[in-house]
Amino acid sequence: MHSNPSQIELEIIETILINVYDPEIEIDIVNLGLVYDVKFNGYNQVTVTMTLSTPSCPLGDSIVQDVKESIKRSYPDFEVAVNLVFEPQWHQGMITPEGKEMLGMI
Amino acid sequence: MTGLQTTNAPSHKIVIPHFVTGSLAFLISMILLFFTADEWMNLYFSPKLIAIVHVLVLGWGTMIAFGALYQLIPVVYETSLYSEKLAKVTFLVYSFSVVFLSYAFWMASFSQLLFYASLAMFLALMLFIANLSLTYRKRTKSNISSRFITTALFWLALTVIVGTLTALNFKYQFFNHSHLQYLKIHAHIGLIGWFVMLIIGASSILIPMFVISHQTNTKKLNLSYVLINMGLIGLSVNWFLDSNQIIELVMILSIVLGILNYLRYVYLVFKSRIRKVLDTAMKLTFISLLIMLFTLIIIGILTGFHWFKIPTMSIVLMYGSSIIIGFISTIILGQIYKTLPFIVWLKVYQPYVGKFKTPLPRELYSEEWMKIQMYVYLIGLAIFVNGIIFQQLIIIKIGISLLIITATINLINVIKITFHQQKLTSIN
Repeated sequence: MHSNPSQIELEIIETILINVYDPEIEIDIVNLGLVYDVKFNGYNQVTVTMTLSTPSCPLGDSIVQDVKESIKRSYPDFEVAVNLVFEPQWHQGMITPEGKEMLGMI
Repeated sequence: MTGLQTTNAPSHKIVIPHFVTGSLAFLISMILLFFTADEWMNLYFSPKLIAIVHVLVLGWGTMIAFGALYQLIPVVYETSLYSEKLAKVTFLVYSFSVVFLSYAFWMASFSQLLFYASLAMFLALMLFIANLSLTYRKRTKSNISSRFITTALFWLALTVIVGTLTALNFKYQFFNHSHLQYLKIHAHIGLIGWFVMLIIGASSILIPMFVISHQTNTKKLNLSYVLINMGLIGLSVNWFLDSNQIIELVMILSIVLGILNYLRYVYLVFKSRIRKVLDTAMKLTFISLLIMLFTLIIIGILTGFHWFKIPTMSIVLMYGSSIIIGFISTIILGQIYKTLPFIVWLKVYQPYVGKFKTPLPRELYSEEWMKIQMYVYLIGLAIFVNGIIFQQLIIIKIGISLLIITATINLINVIKITFHQQKLTSIN
């Protein structure tokens, strides 16, 4: 068992998922606020709970695949699950200040 | 994974040929328009102009619309296309029919070739409508956007029926009225019933998605749906029976109000958008809607002139140009770049996402060239419309020359995207 699961969860968000981009919006999913939660069970299982900017996003599969592959690249022994949810609905309040700047909102 | 539509998406082999063929037809139609300008500027029912209009609305507009619809169906109906094989057959029959029909008009062979060409077109469009209708039957979702699209298909069917009957009438002469009356119905149910309704349905899904807006109040769209359909049914019936000017005016007003309600909806989406910076493709999309607004003003002028029996030759040409070359072509020139690069990107890079560094869909074409294309196009369109207003051949030809440049850049960009070669780089 890993000694500090929350450290790994933080690392996944800050160093891995921040490099996963929505190919259409061209902004990473962390700054877009699409990642709701990352849970590491302490052994080898990671569950990412996330959403998409719209349920009909045609690139949804690619983004989910990118999340899984990117985590597996850094942690080859981990099992990665992505829990895609649309409740709560994503809104602009979830975008980080950096994301808002990239979108031209501020 | 509820809501993800990529599993229902059709093969790229069905969608992509429509974009390439459509872009080629756009270039051909502009070249033909250039070389026949001196003929059609004095006679808008010239066989050559009718041929060019059919290359534009069928070879360009409807061809791209078919490709886009095949891609959009999983989002609209939340189910896969009924038959991909049928879609492939339809593409072949349809492409042949567009060439055949346009050639028949070009040669003014109204009582010979047109008979067979219109039957071929009837068959091709019925194959498409059958495929989409059978897809509609297994839909799992229905909302105002899908209602617009489904109704547009109904109007397309009616357009081809009226068109085919008019063509058959040249050979067998069974109509009681002048065929011009039926052509008026054919043109309007085609342009408003098929194109405008389809664009409203598709754009009410795509525009909020691309600019990221969660504007969900669809009351204006519902009202727009009722007003446009009511107006179009009334207008067609009125023209079919003996035309009454007051009824005509009321029905035109209903359609105009319907379109204004849609434009108001888009304005609310635009105002509440999260993505403030617009790319060239979205700029073109919004410009096309401004052109639509301009077209409504022309409709007002045209109706006024018609009411007071003032000659309307140049206004009719301007009305046709602003709706076909202006509104429809502008939105297509924008939306091609919001769909085709993503279809090709998914085909080429989907298996490598997360494993290699991949280019972005936008990097599959030249944004710089697209900007040039947009400016050349808008300047060309403005000059062309001015040429029509002032009936100046040289101005018309300068305008069309710029539209030919636009169509060429567009075709090059579309081919560049279609034949994109994989570029993968290692992540580490």
